[in-house]
Amino acid sequence: MAVALTKRRFTVDEYHRMAEAGILRDDDRVELIDGEIVEMTPIGFPHARCVIYLTEVFVRRLEGRAVVSPQGPLAIEGATQLQPDLVLLRPPLVRLPSAADALLVVEAADTSLERDRGVKLPRYAGAGVPEVWIVDFAGEAVEVYRVPSSDDYRNVVRVLRGGSLSPVAFPDLTLDVDEILGPRQA
Amino acid sequence: MAVTLTKRRFTVDEYHRMAEVGILTEKDRVELIDGEIVEMTAISSRHASVVKRLNALLTGRLGARAIVSVQDPVQLSKASEPQPDVVLLRPTPDFYAGGHPEPVDTLLLIEVADTSLPYDRGVKLPRYAAAGVIEVWIVDIAGDAVEVYRTPVPDGYRDVVRILRGGSLSPVAFPDLTLGVDEILGPR
Repeated sequence: MAVALTKRRFTVDEYHRMAEAGILRDDDRVELIDGEIVEMTPIGFPHARCVIYLTEVFVRRLEGRAVVSPQGPLAIEGATQLQPDLVLLRPPLVRLPSAADALLVVEAADTSLERDRGVKLPRYAGAGVPEVWIVDFAGEAVEVYRVPSSDDYRNVVRVLRGGSLSPVAFPDLTLDVDEILGPRQA
Repeated sequence: MAVTLTKRRFTVDEYHRMAEVGILTEKDRVELIDGEIVEMTAISSRHASVVKRLNALLTGRLGARAIVSVQDPVQLSKASEPQPDVVLLRPTPDFYAGGHPEPVDTLLLIEVADTSLPYDRGVKLPRYAAAGVIEVWIVDIAGDAVEVYRTPVPDGYRDVVRILRGGSLSPVAFPDLTLGVDEILGPR
């Protein structure tokens, strides 16, 4: 029998206190989405390689212009704190990063495409994150979302292998889709 | 788009820790069901009156033979700690000061259902059965009946009886105690 249960939802503050009290621990890979504590999907090789590659390039090319935060927290609003695969933040870093500090969010989606598109993207848009890239390994493309509205992005481009793209905040930095995706999967 | 998210589930220990550090407070009317912290439905005056009736009837007729527990936690398993409406507990000298009662302490568990009938039948009952609670009564206020569930198996109860107004019933643990359905439900 399907019975809808009303879950007790938590605020970002309560979520942080769970970590302080040792209820949530370092080995918990979780995010807070609309007050619910959600498990993150495991990270596979293409995903890991992509995040490492982007971290390297961004750190090298954007020194002094952006803080590069791989797999760190990003507070969205009172009951949502996401952990994007990578965020470029406006320097200097003086507090827990929130959406207002974000210049670009990158989500590497191997197994998590629907969740990234359907759950996280609307929340990034609502919080005003100016640009999101979703790396779609299965589809061999990078989706670029710009111009946030209340729950979506007005401007969506899908860039395939062979193509290249630049963050809105750093038009002088151009990245190849092939480099982002890495070698083709068997 | 419907996307299934896997919730982080909590153990009973983690759930208790949330109360200790003040994340869950007295204002939270919640239960832990299979590791999920679930809000309890609001209690109507009709529901509350049936719970009060049961408390009075059982306390009056059983005296010291059982502890009557009203809307307090029962630790069913490592991941479930519901708060049933009424439970008859095996008496202990410390009244369970050292730890919440467990299924083995539970002689009869009663849920009073007005709006919560699907939840009590569909979610809580199978968990009571799996934990080995020997007998559950569900008071169906809208249906003017008491459902009696006995002989737990891993996902339900083998013996189910529905007793209407005019009928009466006795707990397995106290065969000499007879309660009328009308006494439990009160006047129409």
